[in-house]
Amino acid sequence: MDNLKQALPKAQKNPPPAPVVSSSSGSLPSASKLHAAFSGYFPTWCPGCGNFGIWTAIKSAFSKMKLNPDKMAVVFGIGCSGNMNDFLWANSFHALHGRAIPNAVGIKIANHSLPVIVIVGDGDCYGEGGNHFLHAARGNHDITVIVHDNRVYGLTTGQVAPTAYKGFKSRSTPNGIIEVPVNPIALAVSQGATFVGQGFSGDMAHLTQLLESAVKHRGFSVVNVFQPCVTFNHVNSYSWYRERVYKLAPENHNPEDINRAWEKSLEVEEKIPLGIIYQVERPVYTDSLPQLAEKPLVFSEPVTDLEMLINEFV
Amino acid sequence: MVDITVKIGGEAGFGIMTTGLLLGKIATRSGYHAFEYSEYPSLIRGGHNVIEVRISDSEIYSQKSKVDILLCLNLETFNLHASEVKDGGVIVYDEEKIAQDKIKKTAGNISFVHVPFNRILQEQKLPTVMLNNIALGVLMHLLGADLEILNNLIEENFARKSREIIDKNQTAAKVGFEVSQKSLPQGSSVKLTPLKDALPKMYISGNEMIGLASIAAGCRFYVAYPMTPTSAVLHYLAAKSGNSGMVVKHAEDEISVINMALGSAFAGVRSMVGTSGGGFALMVESVSLAGITETPIVIVMGQRPGPATGMPTWTEQGDLLFILHSGHGEFPKILLAPGDMEEVYKLTLEAFNLADKYQTPVFIIVDKYIQEGHQSVDKSKISEFKYPVDRGKLLSQEDLLKISAYKRYLDSPDGISPRAIPGMENSLHQANSYEHLEDGHTTEDAGERSKQVEKRNRKAATYLKQDFQMPRIYGDDNAPLTLISWGSMKAPVLQAMKESASHKFNLLHFNRLWPLDREKLKLLLSGLKKTLLVENNSQGQLGQLLTMATGVEFDEKLLKFTGRPIYPEEIIAKVNSIT
Repeated sequence: MDNLKQALPKAQKNPPPAPVVSSSSGSLPSASKLHAAFSGYFPTWCPGCGNFGIWTAIKSAFSKMKLNPDKMAVVFGIGCSGNMNDFLWANSFHALHGRAIPNAVGIKIANHSLPVIVIVGDGDCYGEGGNHFLHAARGNHDITVIVHDNRVYGLTTGQVAPTAYKGFKSRSTPNGIIEVPVNPIALAVSQGATFVGQGFSGDMAHLTQLLESAVKHRGFSVVNVFQPCVTFNHVNSYSWYRERVYKLAPENHNPEDINRAWEKSLEVEEKIPLGIIYQVERPVYTDSLPQLAEKPLVFSEPVTDLEMLINEFV
Repeated sequence: MVDITVKIGGEAGFGIMTTGLLLGKIATRSGYHAFEYSEYPSLIRGGHNVIEVRISDSEIYSQKSKVDILLCLNLETFNLHASEVKDGGVIVYDEEKIAQDKIKKTAGNISFVHVPFNRILQEQKLPTVMLNNIALGVLMHLLGADLEILNNLIEENFARKSREIIDKNQTAAKVGFEVSQKSLPQGSSVKLTPLKDALPKMYISGNEMIGLASIAAGCRFYVAYPMTPTSAVLHYLAAKSGNSGMVVKHAEDEISVINMALGSAFAGVRSMVGTSGGGFALMVESVSLAGITETPIVIVMGQRPGPATGMPTWTEQGDLLFILHSGHGEFPKILLAPGDMEEVYKLTLEAFNLADKYQTPVFIIVDKYIQEGHQSVDKSKISEFKYPVDRGKLLSQEDLLKISAYKRYLDSPDGISPRAIPGMENSLHQANSYEHLEDGHTTEDAGERSKQVEKRNRKAATYLKQDFQMPRIYGDDNAPLTLISWGSMKAPVLQAMKESASHKFNLLHFNRLWPLDREKLKLLLSGLKKTLLVENNSQGQLGQLLTMATGVEFDEKLLKFTGRPIYPEEIIAKVNSIT
């Protein structure tokens, strides 16, 4: 059991002081300064965890885009991925397991001028929160969902995830899982997501670029990121992925073609595509709310003609 | 003195509810007080619907058992309700639809008015949906009311429709008026003569009042999943979003509902959700999330009889202890339970200030009885009520720039920490569902944990010092018997007090149910001569709560859990049996 405990969250005793962003100076700090600004405590993930690559890529993408930690919102789910809340400095809401997406939708409706990023795991997003995932895609809410897909539950010490391959043996499925895996890419494309990408934590440069495109995309963007769990998943390792992944490029893929996206979504085992699988333009949810035409909801003026509303009942 | 109850029954889909609503509005426009109560099954077409409207020239608080005019649009209405018609009353029925031999004319002095509704529709070439206007025409004659008031209401209701449609509706009303005039020239014994000097009145349901108050409170985001009896808040606010500028969202499920609202509240927007017991059960985990992240939220909890799907369209006060204990872990929450339309308005407004001030969930606990029924309320009580918005310790941009290292969960003597809105400069913080340090980051340190638990708990003590109000006593302070009740059951108790016209009992009405000032309440409750608990549930939940808080037990109980509200007559009978 002792070897399992390393995956449990650790209390931060004597935490290092929080880096301070000098945003009150009026001008935006430089990209390198911001990269440091996004760095929180050092992660408690297992040595070699795929989350390190995602963490670094997220910080790099945010820095390259010159995002300001004050002027954005990151919503974390619960799991090893969600523990990034203490390792990534930005205005954030650490949600309940499965519920990060609705929190993010609420934040975006309240203040659509803020970039809103959701950092969740496979069980969090496709299991516990599966219903929210479908409906946020339908609404084309302008948020970016970064899913850590390691095909296993890490924080709860090694049970099967909805993305595990059929037959995967885990502490909750000692005889192998009976269900076939969720197909996140096909699911997202079919439910109306307007940006669907797939990345690999073992290729940070590619992932950084992909995440940047996803955050820049106006609409519901989802990036499924393969991330080896070195403690609980001894099948889908770094080398397992390296043997299978290949990159999509304009020469071999047109992301605007939904039929090509379907084809790519079916490549799940022998060869696995990385990059932008599907991307189209569609009005985002808040575009259709006339209440938000002038300014974000949080700054809008409440109703003034209460008397008129009262008189409707007289 | 005018005190008349009109009951209208028929199949669902016949526009019976509209008939009742318009009748109530005719009464309030004529200066009278009105109270509406309806019963209907969980069906869209068919089934048996009834609506009753009580009209009086003096203040009325609830429905009553006996009916003055029964308008039967089907045989079932006659069979089920004819016995409720009091001596001297009137029964209106369609002789051609309800065969003469099936009508067992009840004993006593009851006038029967034959109105051939279906034949009128055919002869006048009117669609079935206009049946309700024939019925209203009939009632206008029977009540000696001015047909012009009805004609004006029809004009207003169909303002966007063609002249032809308005004319047809008015024709239906006129024919109904004339037919009943022929059948019973003298009308009923009551005349709704317009009252001079009456104050202008609103005629409004609890759900609409909650919606109106939330607009007045500056709520900018309402999220819900449809569920009886709270759906009408969603309908009202959605219809008014063009005027109010509120964003109204029908989300995929109640879990999403509350989490969207918590997201928007975190981002600085006043947010409200509405549901009933089953939907609230789904929200419960996130009530706890609001508790630890210290996110303000107003939750409208409209009770109906459970468990599970229960009786969806009926009423009960069965969820008080569920709401009190909702959410795992320990954190403060504030429970409000308005007892009439004025209280619905004022407590809903206050709920938003309390949520912002204490940064914790605030509940407006209502039920089908008060939510769906329309009641008259003096307009001035609403329009002249001054409401100062209090957003509590919400930091402005200027405040934030003065802080060197902002701490979202800073320990403080009143338990409340300054709150920043993401997007502002120097606002960097984390709202954390894990236990956290003052700066928001996760901790499992024993000392930091205790500090945050105590900080959150301290909010309840602050509330008791600054915002708690004792339950109000209605009636004679020295009465030998005190009825103890909460929320919507204020209505039948006050009506019983008015009708019994005795000083036998008073009412101790709770509309603030948690936190409670144990010491003050213990003193008050232990000093009562004799007590009768009146609750619309089977387990006397307010009684349990008060006993838990004060140790005081209650002498007698009147509990009703049939899905129907308690009637004033039942209260009087109970009081008489124990005094």
